[in-house]
Amino acid sequence: MSPENLAQERYARCLDAATRIAFAASLAAFVVYAGGLLPSFVPLEQLASLWHLPVDEFLERTGAPAGWEWLRLLGYSDYLALACVALIGTVTLVCYLAILPLLVRVGERLEAALVAAQVIVLLIAASGALAGGG
Amino acid sequence: MADAWWVWLAALFAVSFAIGVVAVVAGVGGGVLFVPIVGSFFPFHLDFVRGVGLVFALAGTLAAAPPLLRNRMASLRLAVPLALSGSIASFAGALVGLALPTDVVQVALGATVVTIAVLIWRAADAATGIPEADALGALLRLRGRYQDPAERTVIDWRTHHTLGGFAAFAGIGFLGGIFGLGAGFANVPALNLLMAVPLKVAVGTSGFIISIVNSSAAWVYIHRGALLPALAVPAILGVMLGSRLGARLLARTPASVVRRVVIAVLLAAGARALARGLGVWT
Repeated sequence: MSPENLAQERYARCLDAATRIAFAASLAAFVVYAGGLLPSFVPLEQLASLWHLPVDEFLERTGAPAGWEWLRLLGYSDYLALACVALIGTVTLVCYLAILPLLVRVGERLEAALVAAQVIVLLIAASGALAGGG
Repeated sequence: MADAWWVWLAALFAVSFAIGVVAVVAGVGGGVLFVPIVGSFFPFHLDFVRGVGLVFALAGTLAAAPPLLRNRMASLRLAVPLALSGSIASFAGALVGLALPTDVVQVALGATVVTIAVLIWRAADAATGIPEADALGALLRLRGRYQDPAERTVIDWRTHHTLGGFAAFAGIGFLGGIFGLGAGFANVPALNLLMAVPLKVAVGTSGFIISIVNSSAAWVYIHRGALLPALAVPAILGVMLGSRLGARLLARTPASVVRRVVIAVLLAAGARALARGLGVWT
């Protein structure tokens, strides 16, 4: 198998596994949330009377946090579910990190540099440093 | 309203499943269908619909990508540089989108979606020739070979107008970030008509690129508190299941049928978003 196909195959394998994990975690967390197995920060009954509001007004009315502040609320089922949904946003990063050493090892320097640049972009986005949310 | 939350979430799951099937076959991320449909016919604010729309398109394309990568209908080498250009622009677009007034975004979304429907309707036939690679395409080695099971042929391809392709993906990513769309509607023509990538590789790679581009924009919505898990999870589950089915159907579904359905849905949803933004039908 060529280095190119090897990287593509590794990416596909990693993507498949990471997506399944994120998918299963999201489903499990949602069952906990909708089933009321843990207390929620904004109960679903209340949410239905608030989801028509713009995000700023919603945050003001519920006291819900922005930025990374929600990590402190993981004991609530809605924020546990948000954490699992956020896992989906990390799948690409995980896959890029999985192929980066392979590309370096087989001498695909230009592609490795592009992959590394993409990793930096994803890390900046995930950090919230430029999103204004902390 | 408070008692009906589960009805809305069940309806959201069903709509997301249907969009997931159609989106993969049509080579779009699904956000282009999800945001106007859900933003127009469901009671959720557009801020939340756009946040879910990005994660929706992300989930659907992530689910569909592994089989497309394995059978070479998506190209990692082609996706990496284009996605880098698109994801930087998409991140900027998401920041701009959340700063604009809702009515302005509704009208712009409606106008964009109706324009997209007209462009798809009037689109030229797919490019099928194999041009010479340009200098940038050759430098990045943007070429490949895939076996088309429907045609029973092996097709070698290489890109041209590669620099224009980079610019196109930056523009598409910016709009996608603003509206919470996957923007696959524009990826496919950019890959196929502009860069001469064979249609099926363009469709497969378009979805794969969306999975990378939307990863950065989705974080903007998460950090702004504009991603409600109560809406995101039913939509994600629906689109993931639907897009797995769509990936299997891609090789044998007549493109003309999908195209007509997509155009009809886009026209209806775009008109509704326009009417809502202009205050004609709220």
